[in-house]
Amino acid sequence: MSFIKKFIEEETINRRKFLLASAMGLGGAAAAGVLGSGPARAALSDPTIAWSYRNRTNPYWNEIVSGGEAFVESLGMPKSALVHLINDGSSEKSLADVKALLAKENGNVALAIDTNDAPNCRPIVEAVAASKGYVSTIWNKTDDLHPWDFGDHYVSHMTWSDLGPAEQTARILFKKMGGKGGIVGLGGIASNNPAIERKQGLLNAMKDYPDIELLDYQAADWDTQKANQIMSSFLTRFGDEIKGVHCANDTIGYGVLEALRAEGLQGVIPIVTYDGNPQAVDLVIKGDIEATVFTNPHWGGGITAALAYYAATGHFKPSDEPHANREFYGPTIMITPDDAKAFKAEYLDSVPTYDWKDFWGPGNGQISY
Amino acid sequence: MSQVMSRENLQKWAPVLVLIALILFFSIANPNFMSVRNFARIAMAATPALMISIGITFIIIMGSIDLSMEGAVAVCAVVFATLFLSLGGALDSWAWVALPATLVVGACFGLVNGLVHVKLKIPSFMASLSMGFVGIGLSLLMTGGDRIRVEDPLFRSLLTERVLNFPLMVYFAGLALLVAWFIQSRTRIGRNFYAVGGGEELAHASGLNVNRVRVLGFMIAGAFYALGALFAVARIGIAETATGYNLMFISITSVVVGGTALWGGTGGVWNSLVGVLIVNVIANGMIVIGLPRYVQDGVLGVLVILAVYLSTDRKSLAFVK
Repeated sequence: MSFIKKFIEEETINRRKFLLASAMGLGGAAAAGVLGSGPARAALSDPTIAWSYRNRTNPYWNEIVSGGEAFVESLGMPKSALVHLINDGSSEKSLADVKALLAKENGNVALAIDTNDAPNCRPIVEAVAASKGYVSTIWNKTDDLHPWDFGDHYVSHMTWSDLGPAEQTARILFKKMGGKGGIVGLGGIASNNPAIERKQGLLNAMKDYPDIELLDYQAADWDTQKANQIMSSFLTRFGDEIKGVHCANDTIGYGVLEALRAEGLQGVIPIVTYDGNPQAVDLVIKGDIEATVFTNPHWGGGITAALAYYAATGHFKPSDEPHANREFYGPTIMITPDDAKAFKAEYLDSVPTYDWKDFWGPGNGQISY
Repeated sequence: MSQVMSRENLQKWAPVLVLIALILFFSIANPNFMSVRNFARIAMAATPALMISIGITFIIIMGSIDLSMEGAVAVCAVVFATLFLSLGGALDSWAWVALPATLVVGACFGLVNGLVHVKLKIPSFMASLSMGFVGIGLSLLMTGGDRIRVEDPLFRSLLTERVLNFPLMVYFAGLALLVAWFIQSRTRIGRNFYAVGGGEELAHASGLNVNRVRVLGFMIAGAFYALGALFAVARIGIAETATGYNLMFISITSVVVGGTALWGGTGGVWNSLVGVLIVNVIANGMIVIGLPRYVQDGVLGVLVILAVYLSTDRKSLAFVK
C-alpha cells in the first residue's frame, strides 16, 4: 500500500508547488508586465533582458546590477528595461521567478543569473533551454554541468577564483610585516565558497613564510559589526602579538580598521582585504589598507547580460565558440598603495564605457576543475 | 539566611550572579580578560545594543513585543548620516542638528509602529515585524545599497577620545541609561507601562487610556533605537542598511537574560543593562579563550532558556502557550 501513500504525498507536494509557482508567477508577471514586450516570435529579435540575483543591500550585487543596467542603456533602452528578479537568497524563488518570466515572454528571454546555490543551476538552465530562451550564469554551478551540453541556449558561465589573489594579498601583508610575527584572520560565512578559497589562499602563502604564525582565524560572516567585535576581542587575547590582519573582504576590513582606530592602532597594524569596493580603494590610497582585490563586478554584470543577449539575437553562435569562451574566470586586479590612485582614476572616478561585445578580453582563462 | 536565599531574592539577583560567574570564569581561563582595556572594549561593543535593549524593555514591560529595531536603526543611521553630511559634515557647524533630528525620526518611526499596532488592531509582533521590513526597504531606497562614511573627527571622538580609559560614548550611554531609569521609575508613563503589563483589563477599567500608553511606549522605544543608531555609526563610522543587523536577536536576548519577563509587568532597564553585559561578556570571552564563534550562538540559546526558567515562578503559571 505504500505506493498509494507515496502517490498521494507526491500529488500533495505537486499541488503545493503549483500553487506556489502560480503565486510567484503572478507576482513576476506583474513585475514584468511593466515592460510589455510583444507576443511570441519564432526567432529572438527583441528578447526581454533580465538579471536574477540576491538583493541590492549588498554593494557587490549593487555593482553587478549597475553593469547590467549600463549594458541595457548601451542598446539605446532606458535602465528600467532591465527586468530584476530578486531571489533574496532563496533558490526556490529564483527558479519560480525564472519560470514565470519564461512563461510570460514565451521563452523570448536573455537571462543573466546567479542561481543562488550550485544545485539550483541545473533546473534553471534546463527550464530556459526547454523554452528556447538564452541564459548566462555566474558564480554558482555544479562541476558536472557545462554550457556546451545545452547547445546554444546555455551561453556561458563565469566565476572567479579567489585562491591566487587571496594568496597574493597575504604575501603583501607578510612583506609589510618583515616576514615574521603573529597574524589573525577574519573570514566570511564559513560555508561560502569564496570564504573557503580566501582562507586557503592565506594558508598557501604561509607555507613560504615559516616565521609567520596564524594566531587565530574566526568567521566574521562578511559583517562589519561582527568583525569589529571579533577584532577587539583578538586584541585582548593576543595584545601586542598581532602584527597583521588578513580579512576575507572589505566590509570585514572596515570593522577591523575601526577596532584598531579605537585603540589608536590604525596604521600600526597592517591589514589586507578583498573585493575592491570604492571606499576600500580610498583607504588603500590613504594607506590604511595594504591591499585589496578588484573583481570588476560592474563589468561582470554587464558582460553576463550581454553574452545572453547577443547569443539570443544571433550576433554570435555559442556552439561555435571554444570551451574556453563558455566557461571562464572573471578578471581580478590587485590594488596596492602604489597603484591605487591610478586604479581609482581608471575604474572608479568615472565608470569606464565598456565594449559589451568584447566578451572575453578582460577574463582570466578557462575554468579548471 | 533562608530569607537571603529565598526564591524571590535568587530570582532578582540571578542575572547579576551569572554575570559575575562569567567574568570569573573567563578571567581564570585567560587572565587578559580581567583588564580595564578589555572592559572598555566590551563596553564599547555593548553601547548600541544597550540603547536598543532599553527601548525594547519598555515594550516588553507592557507585555508587547517590538521587532522593528533593525529597520528603525537602519533608517535612523542613514537619515543621520545623510543629514549630517548635507549640513556640512562637521559637528562644530550646523550639522549638529542631525543629532536631535535623528531622535525625532526614531520617535516618528515608533509612532507609526504604535499606531499600526493600536489603530489597526494588529498584534505588536506582526505590526512591528512588518514595520522593520518597511524600515529596511526605506533605508535601501535612500542609500541605493551604498554605505555612507561619517568621518568628522569631532563626532568620531565618541569612540576615539577616552576619559579614565573608557571612550566618551560609554559615558553618554550611561547618561541615557539614567534618563531611561528616570522615565521608568519617576514618571507617570513609566508606571503606566507596568500597569498595562501587569493587567491590561484592570488598567483599562481604572480609566487608563491603554492605547495612548502603548503608542507612547513605541515612541520612546523609537527614540532609544535612534540613540542606538547614533552610537553604532559613531563606533564604525559607517551608516548603511546593515547597521541594524543582528540587533534584534542581541537585544531581545539581553532583555530576557537580564530577567525581564516576556509577559510583562516586571523587570526594568537595570535588568537590561546586566543582560547586555552578559551577552557581550560571552561574545568577547569566547574569542578571548579561543572558542570558535559559532559556539557562542549555541551558548546564548541555552542561556536564554535557563534565564527564562530561573526568572519566573513556574507554579504561578496556569498554562504556557
